[in-house]
Amino acid sequence: MANEQKNNSSNRVYIFVFFSVVLLALSLWVVWDDEFGLRPWKKYQQEFKTLKHDKLESEYRKAVVDFQRSGGHTRLAELEARLAKAEAVFQSPANQEKYKQLTTQFDDIHATAASNQKELQNARGKFLESEYYFTKTQKPEYKATMDLLQREIDAINLRRASIQKKEEAFKNALNEMTSATVNLKAEIEDMKKGLEELKEKIASNDKVAVEIKQVHIKDIDKADRCQSCHIGIDGKHQVSSLQPFTKHPASFVYLDHHDPSKFGCTFCHRGQGRATTSVEKAHGKVKHFDEPLLDGDMTQTSCLNCHGDIKGLRGAEQIGISTELIKKYGCYSCHKIPGYESIGDVGPVLTEVGSKVNYSWAVNWLLDPKKYFSTARMPKFFFTQAQAEAIADYLFSMSGTTRHDVDYANTQPNAQLVEQGKTLWSQARCNLCHTTGGRGGNHIKVYAPDLSKVGSKVNKEWLFKWLKNPNAYFPGTKMPRFRFTDQEINALVEYIVSEYKDDEAEARYVQPVEIKAASIKKGKELIQQYGCYGCHKLQGMEEMVQIAPSLKSQGVSFLRKDEMREKIGTELSSIGSKPLEMLDFGKLAKAIPNDRLSYLKQKLRDPRGFRLGLRMPDFRLSESEVNELAAVLYGFTDANVPVRFMVPSRQELDKMAGVQGYKFTGDFAKVIADVKCTNCHSIKGIGADYAPDLSIAGSKLQEKWIRKFLANPDVIRPLLQQMPKLGLTLGKPAAKVTMPKFNLGKQRVEDTNKSDVDVVVDYFQQELVTTDIPKAIPTITTMALPEQISKGKALYEFKGCRSCHQIGLDGGALGPNLSDVGNRLQPGFIFRHLENARKFKPDIVEPDYGFTERERIYLTNFLMTLKLNTK
Amino acid sequence: MKSLPEISEKVRKNLIWKSIFRRDYRNSIRDRAQAVFGNVFLHLHPVQVRESAVKLRFTWGMGGITFFAFILLVITGVVLMFYYHPSIDQAYTDIKDLEFQVPFGVILRNLHRWGAHFMVIVVMIHMFRVFMTGSYKAPRQFNWGIGVFLLVLTFLLSFTGYLTPWDQLGFWAITVGTNMGAATPLLGYQGPFSEYLHITPYNDIRFALLGGAQVGGNALLRSYIWHCVAIPLISIILMFVHFWRVRKDGGISKPQK
Repeated sequence: MANEQKNNSSNRVYIFVFFSVVLLALSLWVVWDDEFGLRPWKKYQQEFKTLKHDKLESEYRKAVVDFQRSGGHTRLAELEARLAKAEAVFQSPANQEKYKQLTTQFDDIHATAASNQKELQNARGKFLESEYYFTKTQKPEYKATMDLLQREIDAINLRRASIQKKEEAFKNALNEMTSATVNLKAEIEDMKKGLEELKEKIASNDKVAVEIKQVHIKDIDKADRCQSCHIGIDGKHQVSSLQPFTKHPASFVYLDHHDPSKFGCTFCHRGQGRATTSVEKAHGKVKHFDEPLLDGDMTQTSCLNCHGDIKGLRGAEQIGISTELIKKYGCYSCHKIPGYESIGDVGPVLTEVGSKVNYSWAVNWLLDPKKYFSTARMPKFFFTQAQAEAIADYLFSMSGTTRHDVDYANTQPNAQLVEQGKTLWSQARCNLCHTTGGRGGNHIKVYAPDLSKVGSKVNKEWLFKWLKNPNAYFPGTKMPRFRFTDQEINALVEYIVSEYKDDEAEARYVQPVEIKAASIKKGKELIQQYGCYGCHKLQGMEEMVQIAPSLKSQGVSFLRKDEMREKIGTELSSIGSKPLEMLDFGKLAKAIPNDRLSYLKQKLRDPRGFRLGLRMPDFRLSESEVNELAAVLYGFTDANVPVRFMVPSRQELDKMAGVQGYKFTGDFAKVIADVKCTNCHSIKGIGADYAPDLSIAGSKLQEKWIRKFLANPDVIRPLLQQMPKLGLTLGKPAAKVTMPKFNLGKQRVEDTNKSDVDVVVDYFQQELVTTDIPKAIPTITTMALPEQISKGKALYEFKGCRSCHQIGLDGGALGPNLSDVGNRLQPGFIFRHLENARKFKPDIVEPDYGFTERERIYLTNFLMTLKLNTK
Repeated sequence: MKSLPEISEKVRKNLIWKSIFRRDYRNSIRDRAQAVFGNVFLHLHPVQVRESAVKLRFTWGMGGITFFAFILLVITGVVLMFYYHPSIDQAYTDIKDLEFQVPFGVILRNLHRWGAHFMVIVVMIHMFRVFMTGSYKAPRQFNWGIGVFLLVLTFLLSFTGYLTPWDQLGFWAITVGTNMGAATPLLGYQGPFSEYLHITPYNDIRFALLGGAQVGGNALLRSYIWHCVAIPLISIILMFVHFWRVRKDGGISKPQK
């Protein structure tokens, strides 16, 4: 019995020993893991230090080799030998004796000077005392003391001067004795300086502590520890091109404007900035973390957090292009998107569409717009034939017409008119905006419709009215009113209808058919359900708004016009930070990755794929468009942004400052509204960047040239950006103003009786000027003009201007042609432009040659001689 | 060079040694009993334990293990309090920083979390054992009652600690848990007769637990204080009563012969 017990307890000892060993091993592992396993950044920092050390070391070695190669070594040795010699001379007993003597004498003098100085201070103090008493009591005895003391002070000062002279002399003598060694020492130090500095750099790098590097943004309590691994990210010099040691790409754009110590990294790149235990965790690429790291162009989506004006922002080029897609497809028509509230309808007015298009065309268009032309922006709604007909019926009934088609298939076009129309078509440069047969449409941002098959879409009567005055049918359209005569319009219409028709177009309603009331009702319901009024202006639905679902549930069904309303689609102002659990993945929950970006992309790819009952139409975006739009939407967040980070848009800034945005005034405003100059040109911040900015055109261009150019536009830059012939009247005689062309703009005749060219030129010269450009350039009186011109010409040749500019037939095609520049530009503009080309056009490619004022005068004078003989 | 016994002799004769241990120890029955009596930590414990009471097969040692888990949780909990702010802005990031930044933070937090789960399980097994061996019977009825209170307190400790990381799991657990309170008769506004008793969402048990009608900053602070101060204090007092009564009710229960 006792034996058995003993056995038992010895067994337990083994168990005890086993668990003790396990516990000890575990404890050791805990310590190791905490010190190294969970802190991989230590390894990275160590590695970085080694890399930097190696780099500095090799730099140092190279510097040493360079030093030797340039003979520095021998020179150093020579200097050192000379120093030793000089030292020896200085150390010789005779010199030492002399030096000691001089030093003692100098010290004596110095002591005398010090005591003298003390005496002076004393006397001055006494003087001030007497002065005080004298001003207080006005007793003459104080005055007497003052005079006495003044004399004393003067005497001391005199002594001081002589002492100083002596002191100086001794000092010079001493310096003379040591100057040889001192100078040599300085010279040696100077030679060694570069190498010493490099050595110091190596030493200080070796001393850098391995530690967590944290950036803390106080306002929003955000902590980033990214730089613990990305240790070289803000470096000026690349230590290694490998991650995580590489420096930030294009840091002159990003880091120079966003100091990493103030902005951190996750503010733009997202990810889990606090995490330091593994790469996946730090980059937020782990389960249940909603904000994975953004890299590459995708990071630009974060620019939207703070920057109001994304267009033209350096470093945000990709996202700038991508945001255009929102305007192109008019996402804001159905969704609330901040910053896009005041943009007009994306689709054309449909109030009178029944008088414009064929019924068969309208039905086919509703069924599938891309079938008509592949670049159509209108999305596919997946209507059935009956639904499409119902909608068309509603639209046609609102225009008071029947189901009808006009078919010009069997009519014979007037050949003479067609020929004239063709000329007008090319003079007016219709193809600049409109594509036909896959050609043209260079100015993509106006989104003009493809006209390849327009002859089978619209009828001649409507086309005539449209060309005569587009604003009458569609106020706010981008289509300019060309100054055609009725006869010219007829010719154009004849040409367009006969040339651009669809051979496969069907015309089932050449015999008109009455529209049934039931169909109209159904059409109206469909339009309300799918919100067509979001993009198009519809008769009978001008004030149509969607009542917020939240209000509907509270029993509100009627709202006044400007009360709370909601767009038909989901609000997108913070879609990029919407909690993942609030995104409905529906049927696709298992088919696609459950993250926000994948959801957005899938929604854009197949808007109705998640579940039944979704209404969003299919825009049939290309994969690249899907990616771009998703990137933009991903940037619409309700991120917590410190106010000091915000860069409001120019518009917002103006609003804050109470500044009214620029507005065109007077007759010029009417011309702009009519001719739509701002479709292509930008004037004082309004308009597009397709054609040159005209904000300072009055100071830049010569009046005569403007008149000529407006009447008959010509090529300046040999690119495809040619100005259309708008048919503006040169019209000096007032009678011309009353020409039929202007019948539609009757007010103008009553107002000022001016021709449009006069209006434009007047406005240019009064409004679009700047004081930055002088009226005349400085003159050089000491040199004759012809000589200046020839010097300018020499400069033109010497600086290689001709590689970009053309004079006559000679030169490159990148810059504007200068053959007629003397007639076109004001000399003051050329003069200023040569000084700083970026002043007026910040993104210009012209290099800065750093011309002197004289050189600029020469060049200006030369360029002003370049005139084409027009007569 | 002095021999080891000599050094040991000198240490034992030292005044400091004497003031701590008060008397010599000779490994006699009397001295062993004195050692237990004279120690503030051990004096709750009986001086003599029957051999049968030490048999693991009968008691499973669950009561002792529960107490061990409690001590572990108190120690790790106190250290965790150094790194934690009970505010909604900081709570979650503090927990994350325990993983990412605090020295030994990972083992510290995991010891506390898993230790808590462990304690809940062990305390239930303890109760199960007491029930199955009939140890709740006279004269131990009172101590059974204390034990039930301690079980509830253990659950409450676990429940209040659940919210402190301020993550989705804790947030919704507390939401659901307190909503259950809101539906409890006579305590919550959703319980029966609540309108006759004038119980509203703003004066019921849920409001008292959350310091508001929703899970928010107040709820976090309340659960923090319940978790770290109030409930541990009550538990410690009840535990002393529990241990004391074990002794007074005839020692640790043992198989009946």
